Amino acid sequence: MMRHILEEGLALLRRRGVVSVILAMSLTVPMALAGFTTSMGLWSRPLVALESHATVVRVLLHPKMDVSQRQVWIAEQARIHQDWRLSEIDRETLEKRLQVWFPYLEDLLEGEHAIELPTLVEVEAADPEEVTALAEGPTVIAVGPTSSIDRILGVMARTMTWLLGGISVILLVSAFLLAATWIHLEVYRNADEITIMRLVGATESAIRGPFVVAALIPGIFAGVAASVGAWCLVRMVAVAVETVGLSPPVFPPWLVAVEIGVGVILPIVAALVTMGRHARAGETD
Amino acid sequence: MGSGTLLAVTMIRLRNLTKTYDGRRILRGIDLQVEAGEFLFLTGASGAGKSTLLKLLYAAERPTAGGAWVAGQRVDELSRHKLALLRRKVGVIFQDFKLLRHKTVLENVTFVLRFQGLGARDAHRRAYQVLKRLGLHHRQSALPEVLSGGEQQRVAIARALAYQPRLILADEPTGNLDADLAGELLSLLCDINYQGATIIVATHDHSLLEAMPARTLVLNQGLIEYDGSWPP
Repeated sequence: MMRHILEEGLALLRRRGVVSVILAMSLTVPMALAGFTTSMGLWSRPLVALESHATVVRVLLHPKMDVSQRQVWIAEQARIHQDWRLSEIDRETLEKRLQVWFPYLEDLLEGEHAIELPTLVEVEAADPEEVTALAEGPTVIAVGPTSSIDRILGVMARTMTWLLGGISVILLVSAFLLAATWIHLEVYRNADEITIMRLVGATESAIRGPFVVAALIPGIFAGVAASVGAWCLVRMVAVAVETVGLSPPVFPPWLVAVEIGVGVILPIVAALVTMGRHARAGETD
Repeated sequence: MGSGTLLAVTMIRLRNLTKTYDGRRILRGIDLQVEAGEFLFLTGASGAGKSTLLKLLYAAERPTAGGAWVAGQRVDELSRHKLALLRRKVGVIFQDFKLLRHKTVLENVTFVLRFQGLGARDAHRRAYQVLKRLGLHHRQSALPEVLSGGEQQRVAIARALAYQPRLILADEPTGNLDADLAGELLSLLCDINYQGATIIVATHDHSLLEAMPARTLVLNQGLIEYDGSWPP
């Protein structure tokens, strides 16, 4: 029976070859864009984390300060500003954070002419503007960015993530509707045949199976093509981003599996839902 | 009697079978019993209700009142799946042929055999045999649209006979056939009936009734006017 359903599905595909190619292409575009927007959303995630540090101001201390000097400085600030919470970020964590955006940093920190990273102290304060006054001291080389910039960056990144996620969902819904509409049209075109099939004893699986197969195959092609398309789009952005020295966005390999999975599941669900609603031709009056 | 099993020898049982379209009564409380292995002609003027009666038997229509039992199952109460399984035991020769237009003659016949579980090779072999018997094997690769009315009718017949059903319902099966082919078809149906299948032929062709002595039902305005051998 399965072989028969597969053969019938392929026959349906052959009969509607051009339309099937158009369906595959129509699915590819929204799915590729959904893959692209997902990748970009993942890329902007570190920025979103900044929002939660809204009241934290970062202070860079002179790199020549040794451990005891740093501890004295921190204790002194804590004594003066009792509502502040100061914490020193260890070198390893600081390197990790910086490398997200400056991938070449690793080279600068190694070798004979390695640069020395300044010490980063995070100051959590009720009024972050008070912290900026530290910049006047000789041991402090920079203060900031201020929490307001962090918040703006974080909110922007969060908005972008939600926006891209929303666009991805809308694109996938449009792909679903495309597949469902295509199947609806095919069911309508083949209403007479469905009637005949029912009258000569075809079960529902024998009637619906070929339509599912005929939608599934363009879906698989669309999944593969969408992966390639999304990878190309992400690569284009990556090339542009690399020129300004930022860490480029990547198209994660697991997204290929997701794209193909969506390409498989989406037409199957669309076919089953549409057939359930519309493939009633030939049922007993 | 509910939808339970009837005696094994009863192939068809109709109880007060009534069908109304837009207030017009096509069948008016038909009671009928057809035993397994019987050959029955259904005749009457156009609009007498012959085709409607057959449609109720293969559940293409639902009765307005009463019930129809086929092989012990009340057809209007069957689930989709059970109805599909029952229809596989019933070979229907449709008046308008109902051929799949995208499939060749051979595929139209193998199609029903395939979803009955036959493998591709067996289905092709059996379909070819039936087509050969009906003189259509040389047209096996043709699409229905290039066939004459008579040839299309024979494909429809081949499809109905291919899976050796226990019950054959034929709606005007000789309507597009010349006298010789009509005689051959009748002879074929007789052979199948001899092998045990129940056959109901709806026709208004009296020469067919005269050619073969069998139980004949005359319908008139939705009522059984006569039930017996032909001529009345």
